[in-house]
Amino acid sequence: MKTELSPRAKVLVYGTMCVLLIPFVFPTWWMVTSSFKPVSDIFAFPPQLIPRSFDFTTYGQVFTLQPFAKQYWNSAYIAAVVTAGTMGISSMAGYAFARIRFPFANAIFMVVLLGLLIPSEVTIVPLFQLFLKLGMVNTHWPLILVPIFGAPSVFATFVMRQFFISLPVELEEAARVDGLSRFKIFTRIALPLARPALASVAIFTFLHSWNLYLEPIVFLSSADKFTLPQALTQFTDAYGGPMWNIQLAAATLTALPVLIVFIIAQKHFVEGLAHTGLKG
Amino acid sequence: MAEVTLTNTRKAYGNVNVIHGVDLDIEDGQFVVLVGPSGCGKSTLLRMVAGLETITGGEISIGGKVVNNLDPKDRDIAMVFQNYALYPHMTVATNMGFSLEHRGGSKSEIAERVHWAAGILGLTPLLDRYPRQLSGGQRQRVAMGRAIVRSPQVFLFDEPLSNLDAKLRVVMRGEIKALHEKLKTTMIYVTHDQIEAMTMADKIVVLNGGRIEQAGTPLELYDRPANQFVAGFIGSPAMNFIPGKIRAEGLVTSDVVIPLPRSAQEHVGQDVVLGVRPEHLVAEESGIATLVTLVEPMGHETQISMMLGQTLIHGLFRERLPLRPGSIFHVRLTTDKLHIFSAADGHRLM
Repeated sequence: MKTELSPRAKVLVYGTMCVLLIPFVFPTWWMVTSSFKPVSDIFAFPPQLIPRSFDFTTYGQVFTLQPFAKQYWNSAYIAAVVTAGTMGISSMAGYAFARIRFPFANAIFMVVLLGLLIPSEVTIVPLFQLFLKLGMVNTHWPLILVPIFGAPSVFATFVMRQFFISLPVELEEAARVDGLSRFKIFTRIALPLARPALASVAIFTFLHSWNLYLEPIVFLSSADKFTLPQALTQFTDAYGGPMWNIQLAAATLTALPVLIVFIIAQKHFVEGLAHTGLKG
Repeated sequence: MAEVTLTNTRKAYGNVNVIHGVDLDIEDGQFVVLVGPSGCGKSTLLRMVAGLETITGGEISIGGKVVNNLDPKDRDIAMVFQNYALYPHMTVATNMGFSLEHRGGSKSEIAERVHWAAGILGLTPLLDRYPRQLSGGQRQRVAMGRAIVRSPQVFLFDEPLSNLDAKLRVVMRGEIKALHEKLKTTMIYVTHDQIEAMTMADKIVVLNGGRIEQAGTPLELYDRPANQFVAGFIGSPAMNFIPGKIRAEGLVTSDVVIPLPRSAQEHVGQDVVLGVRPEHLVAEESGIATLVTLVEPMGHETQISMMLGQTLIHGLFRERLPLRPGSIFHVRLTTDKLHIFSAADGHRLM
C-alpha cells in the first residue's frame, strides 16, 4: 500500500536525495565542463562550475592527436561482438542449468560460478602466454574471447539461469504438448520471455567491454588497435604530462554512448537486477 | 477420438512409489474424472498419460497404440493446465494456432481452425488480445481453445478450474461439459473437487495413495461406495460414519441401538462402521433421540449437527425445523439407504 508523505517529510526526503546526488553528478559535470576550459581554468580555485568561455577546439584535437575515430570503432565493435556472444552463450548455458536435468548439474554450476571469484589480474599472465602462442597478441581476439568465455559471461549465465528458473514450467510443458523440440522451446518460448534479463545482460556486458582496461594494455601495442579506455591515457604532452582538457574531452566522448544506453535501457537494467535477486 | 488403457502402470521417484500398478480402461468418447485428495497421484497419472512424466512400469496405450516411449507431441493429446500456461508474448490467435503452426499447417488452415475453435468458445472478439488483457474465465477458454483447435484424440485437463472463483467455476463446468457433448472426444479430467467430478463425469476414478479405490459412474460411487474412503470422499456434506457392533436388534453404538435391514443379520457380532448420508436422516418422533449441537439454515434446506450417542453426525432436512443447539431431536436413519463397512479394513460389507 502506498502512503502519501507529508510536505515536511517530502522536503526531507528530496533534500537528502539532492545531497546524495552531489558525489554522483559532480564528477560528470566537472568532466564535461572542464573539457571546454583552458588548462589554467581547470585547476582554478574556487572551481568554476560553469566555464567562462567554451573552447571547442579540444574536441577537434582529440581526433588529430590520436586515431580516435578508429579507436572509437574498435571499442564499439568489440563491445557489440562481446555483447552478442555473451548473450548467446549465457542464455543457452543459463537455460541448460535452469531446465535440463543432467548429472552433477548443480556441482558444475558451482564450479562455473567459481570463475567469478578469480580476479582477472590472476589469470592475465597465463592468458597472455596462451594468446602469444596462438599468435593473437596485438589483435582484438583476446578482448573478444576473454569476456565471452570469462567472468562477465559467468555472471550473465547466473542472471539468465535465475530468470529461467522463475519461468513457469507449465509453459514449456504446454510447448512440448504443442509439438516443440527442446531447442524450439528455448528459442520460441523461453528466450522471447527472457527479454528483461537479456537486456540487463546486454547492458552489463556492453559496459564491461566498453570500460575494459587491463586486457587492452596487456594485449595491444599499436595505437590504431587501441580501445577507448587505453586511448585516454595517450593524451599526454612531450614530457608525459596529461593534457587535461583534451583528455577530458575524450573522456566525455567515451562516456557519452554509455550514458545514452543507460538512460534508454535503465528500466530493463533495474528489472534485470531484480531477477538476479541482487541489489544494485 | 480414442480409448485409453492403463495396464499395471507404475511410477516411482527413486525408492518412493507414487503410483502402484494402476489398471484403467477409458472408453472412446468417455469423460473420465480422476479425483482424490492432494498427493493421491491423480495429476501424476494424468501427466504420465500426457508423456510429461516417464512411467516406471506397465503400459499406457492411446487408440490401441502403446505410447510409453512416445513424446507428448506424438501422442495426439492436448492438455489444459491448472494455470492455463498461455504464452504471454503471443496473442490469443497465435496461442491457439501455435501447435498447428508447428505441425506444418498452412496459414489458411490455421486461421480456419482458430476461428472455428474461437466461435465454439465465444473467443472471436478476443483473438488479437494478449493473455494479460484477459480475465480468468477468458484465459481458461483460450486454454481450452488451444486444446481443441487441432482436434486431438484425447483431452487432458489438470485441475483447470481451481484458479477461478466459485461462481465462474460453475459456469466453466457447464461449458466444459457442453464442449464434451459437442466434440464427443475422450476427456480425462483431474480435480480434487468431488462436486466437479459428480457433475461432469461419465466415469469417476477415485484415487488414494497412488491406487484406484473405485471406478464407476457418479451414481454408482454415490450409492454403492466400495469402501469407507470412497464413501467419505464422494458426497457433500460427507457421509456420516457411526462405529459399532452388529447385534440381533441392530447396530449398537454407545447406548444407542440403530435398526438395520434384515440382511445385516449375517454380520452379527462383527465390529463395523455404519455409513449414512446426511439426506437419509428423517425427522421422526419415534426415531432415535439426538442432541442438537449446531443448526445451519440455508434457505432451501437446513443442516443440523447432532450427537448420536458419542458420535457427531450431520443431517440435511428440507423442512425448516424449529431447533436450537441443546434441543433433543428425534431422527430415523433410512434403513434401505444404510452402508455398512468393515471396521477392520473399511471395505463394504453391505
